[in-house]
Amino acid sequence: MLRSSWRFGIVLGLGCLACAPESDDVEEIHVFAASSLTDALQSLASEFEQEEEGLEVVLSFAGSQTLRVQIEQGARADLFASANPDHIDALVADELVSDVQAFAFNSLAVVVPLARSNAPETFEGLVDAERIVVGHPNAPIGQYTLELLSNLERRHGRDFVERVRSSIVSEETNVRLVRAKVEVGEADAGIVYRSDAVSSSRVRAIPIPVESNVRAEYSFARLRDAPASDVATAFVAFVLSERGQRVLELQGFAAVRP
Amino acid sequence: MKPTRTLPVGLLFGWVLLGVLVVPFVALTVSTSPESVRSGITNEMFAPALRLSLWTSFVSVVLAAIGGTPLAWWLATTRSRAAHTVSLLVQLPIVMPPAVVGIALLETFGRQGVLGPALSLFGVSIPFTATAVVLAQVVVAAPFYVQAASNAFREIDPETLRVARTLGATSRIAWSRVALPIALPGLAVGASLAWARALGEFGATLLFAGNLTGRTQTMPLAILSALEADIGLAVVFSLALALSALLVLGALQLVPVAVSRRRSQRS
Repeated sequence: MLRSSWRFGIVLGLGCLACAPESDDVEEIHVFAASSLTDALQSLASEFEQEEEGLEVVLSFAGSQTLRVQIEQGARADLFASANPDHIDALVADELVSDVQAFAFNSLAVVVPLARSNAPETFEGLVDAERIVVGHPNAPIGQYTLELLSNLERRHGRDFVERVRSSIVSEETNVRLVRAKVEVGEADAGIVYRSDAVSSSRVRAIPIPVESNVRAEYSFARLRDAPASDVATAFVAFVLSERGQRVLELQGFAAVRP
Repeated sequence: MKPTRTLPVGLLFGWVLLGVLVVPFVALTVSTSPESVRSGITNEMFAPALRLSLWTSFVSVVLAAIGGTPLAWWLATTRSRAAHTVSLLVQLPIVMPPAVVGIALLETFGRQGVLGPALSLFGVSIPFTATAVVLAQVVVAAPFYVQAASNAFREIDPETLRVARTLGATSRIAWSRVALPIALPGLAVGASLAWARALGEFGATLLFAGNLTGRTQTMPLAILSALEADIGLAVVFSLALALSALLVLGALQLVPVAVSRRRSQRS
């Protein structure tokens, strides 16, 4: 009994050696990306991996600020995809990243829960929403929301913005939490990136008038000690290619190339 | 009695563990400067968050003690399958990731939750309010109190209570004059653990109560919000939270000392 289980262990061990991926043939890049890029970069990475055999894109998502701190503290990665140019600028100033390249634009949208009947129907209906959830001013989404509100003040008047403000019940620290509160129907409306509105089937997007909307810019920056710089170059080129930009457009982003 | 000597190797591991536990907090303290402390405590998020954290965690502990003491007594004195099951259920929130507790609370008290629609008939809506903050804290913190309290009650020799009864004490008097004082140090430890846990509660609050300065933004949520802008600010907030937790833990653990001193003075 003991002997047979011993032998079984050896067989199992050898089997695992055989089935382990041959890491020599696969070249990996590590990409740190802002959470709002989750869906888009996942599909971009899988298309890239299909096209370029033997290359693998490992993605790690968090708020842009968190990723910036991790890079400052010496985290190993090849590329940083930030939702906010300020973080990239700070890292460039510290000479931790270089070769900044914008690859997508985003705008804002209002999302309302599908399941609730008394959710706002139009953008103007936002003032009647009982509970509105937005991003915290410290997070990029919150900054863009403040910008939006000040644009709205000019176009729709102070009263409109004050009524919206008075219904804000929470300032979430990232955009996915804003959307989640709308998805579960706890909030009547949320202000998120257009891409977050597109990628959820549990919310309905209400477009924000173009003249008041804001433009968020996403850029790649290359880490100074990037271990796999060739693959990183190839991946950036793929994202900027016509095919890559189409993937981004399908996810609700705007292409950097017309 | 001479204290038993710890093996040198064991002692080494103990010191290493202590280092791992303490050095990060020392590092936090070292990494900050008087200027950042000044700008931290004058930040608009600081005072409202600290105030909210302190009063909500206080209310949570009081609620945990009011409900938890009888429950713990019942758990400690009942030997049935039901008591065993209840004891397991009470421990569940300890192992659950707080985010799951937050979702569960939304599924209970939210607009589309089990109780939410009924509550809204009475005009009561809990999510995004300070009530939600307290509720989240009670769920994650009360198990620690109940656990410690039932352990403390189990330590009481049933004979002591029986003697008190034969000396003419009613069962209520026997409980409050005999059982409670014996268990008090254990209850205080439970309350201090629960308070510290409530003070640090983050995940369930984030989902169930949201994050609005002055209304639902507790210190842990303010730390997360600060982290998005300035890590130095987050460090100052964290130090304030660590200091409050130390004060709370210290103060509550002094209670049993004071009680036993008073008792020994009396006898």
